[in-house]
Amino acid sequence: MTIRVRLIVQTVFLQMLSLLLVATGVFAVQRTLGERDVETAETQIRFAVARTATDALIQKDQVQLLSYLNFLKVQYPALAYARTVWRNGDKTAAQSLGTPGASGDRVLERRVVVSDPASAQRSVEVLFGVDQDVLRLTVRESQKRMIKILALVGGLTALIGLLLAIFLSRSLARSLTALGRMAEQISEGRLGVRLEWKSEDEIGALVRVFNNMSARLADLDISKKNFVSSVTHELRSPLGAIESFLPLIREKTAKGDHASVNLAMEYLNRIEANVHRLNRFITDLLDVAKIEQGKMECVIRRVELGPIASEVAQFFEAKAKAQGVAIENRINGEPAVLGDADRLRQILVNLIANGLKFTPSGGRVWIEASQIKEDGLRRLEVVVGDTGRGIDPADLIRLFKPFSQGRNVSDGVAGPKGTGLGLYIVKSIVDQHGGRLDVRSIPGQGTKIAFSLKVAE
Amino acid sequence: MAATALVIDDEEDYRVIISEVLRGAGFEVLAAQDGAEGLQTLKASRADVVLVDWMMPKMDGEQFCRAMRAVPGLKDIPVIMLTVKQTADEELEALHFGVDDFVVKPFKADELVARVRAVLRRAENRRA
Repeated sequence: MTIRVRLIVQTVFLQMLSLLLVATGVFAVQRTLGERDVETAETQIRFAVARTATDALIQKDQVQLLSYLNFLKVQYPALAYARTVWRNGDKTAAQSLGTPGASGDRVLERRVVVSDPASAQRSVEVLFGVDQDVLRLTVRESQKRMIKILALVGGLTALIGLLLAIFLSRSLARSLTALGRMAEQISEGRLGVRLEWKSEDEIGALVRVFNNMSARLADLDISKKNFVSSVTHELRSPLGAIESFLPLIREKTAKGDHASVNLAMEYLNRIEANVHRLNRFITDLLDVAKIEQGKMECVIRRVELGPIASEVAQFFEAKAKAQGVAIENRINGEPAVLGDADRLRQILVNLIANGLKFTPSGGRVWIEASQIKEDGLRRLEVVVGDTGRGIDPADLIRLFKPFSQGRNVSDGVAGPKGTGLGLYIVKSIVDQHGGRLDVRSIPGQGTKIAFSLKVAE
Repeated sequence: MAATALVIDDEEDYRVIISEVLRGAGFEVLAAQDGAEGLQTLKASRADVVLVDWMMPKMDGEQFCRAMRAVPGLKDIPVIMLTVKQTADEELEALHFGVDDFVVKPFKADELVARVRAVLRRAENRRA
């Protein structure tokens, strides 16, 4: 049974139930009132009979009593029969008007005895039958009318209720159907679909939750696709290159002449570079896994940043020179910071590698540091700057998402496209150190990435 | 005269590998690092077959194919697409924009040479 049908059935059922209760109440009241009416009517007959009997007794007219009773019988149809018994001392005279036997079972006999106040000897006794069915006839009729009215009102209310229930259930069912369709679309892989639904009630809240879920799923799907294509490319590409270089090296070494051996050496260097690339990627992947599981741990100690920075700068010296870019470490005599030396080195390596990647020949990449106040605390702000092409402001939000890079990231850039993991890892490490990460970039002029560290007291 | 192949790939390693393999098989080899450069090279010096990587910055393999097919003198040169993608749907899609064959990276040297030769043979038959 659909919700709609169930709702309608339930509403109508409840309505019928309340109607039934009201009807029962009305009937109870009606019955009490009816009983009273019956009593009143009977009393009326009794009074009339008594008055007639008194009159006749005073007039001493037996015929008058009979004709009066006859008249009463016409006036009160419930009066089924009457018998009169006149008494005067020991003399009695009985007369009948109608017969008790001819009437139905529901005729109850009543008795009125009237004595002459002047002479206790004289009295008249009237026995009369009151037909209860006839007496109740009016009551029953009014009951029938009541039933009719109740049925009419009940029918009308039921109809209105039904319409209301249909209307209500339709709007409810429509929202549920729409949400169901949306969920179906999502399950079919159309992530990111939205439902436009203007209402502030629970349904509206549910729709908002659904929309948020859909958007989150779409985001997740994009990062999953980025992840898959990034992993596929970053693993397959260097592995494929290595696989292809190996037979070439075998071939060249077999030839053995000087030029061939030189080529083989070049291929070996290329293999080495690819192995490094694979290694870095896998290390980054493991770091990302740690970050996502919340298991990225930093051992915070007092660290001198200067030596680490100069070590990293030296590490990139050869590559920078080959690229025609100057690299320098300007950190000198700055106070020690609190941090994990290995992780800080990792930050610098990532940031300098990025800087070098996007800085053309003739440019500069540098590391500098200065003391700042942040939330009233002494901090050391470390900046890795370059004179490269800068970052498009529209790309800034993508920078720190895993497997995500600025668009057109490879334009005019030598070497592999990269994995989109570096800055995500950097950001996570800075977060672990309780620092802030800030990107200051002017497209076409260069980029400065700054992060703050606690100063060791 | 040896046939000339143009290799277009943004990754230097693959340019080196493919060039070396094809040279070893007796081809003349030209190389370019993106679609735009490839198109210029093709206009400047004619090639008999083009090997182009699908995923490249600026102008990818697909855009390169469409651009090349639009140039009257170049539209009959056979194209082999190099790809790491390998779903049947994508291959089918690529056939629509006029790719003659596919080579999935990483590839065997023999296979690459065989496919290049096959494509050249088919192109020759078409002309004949």
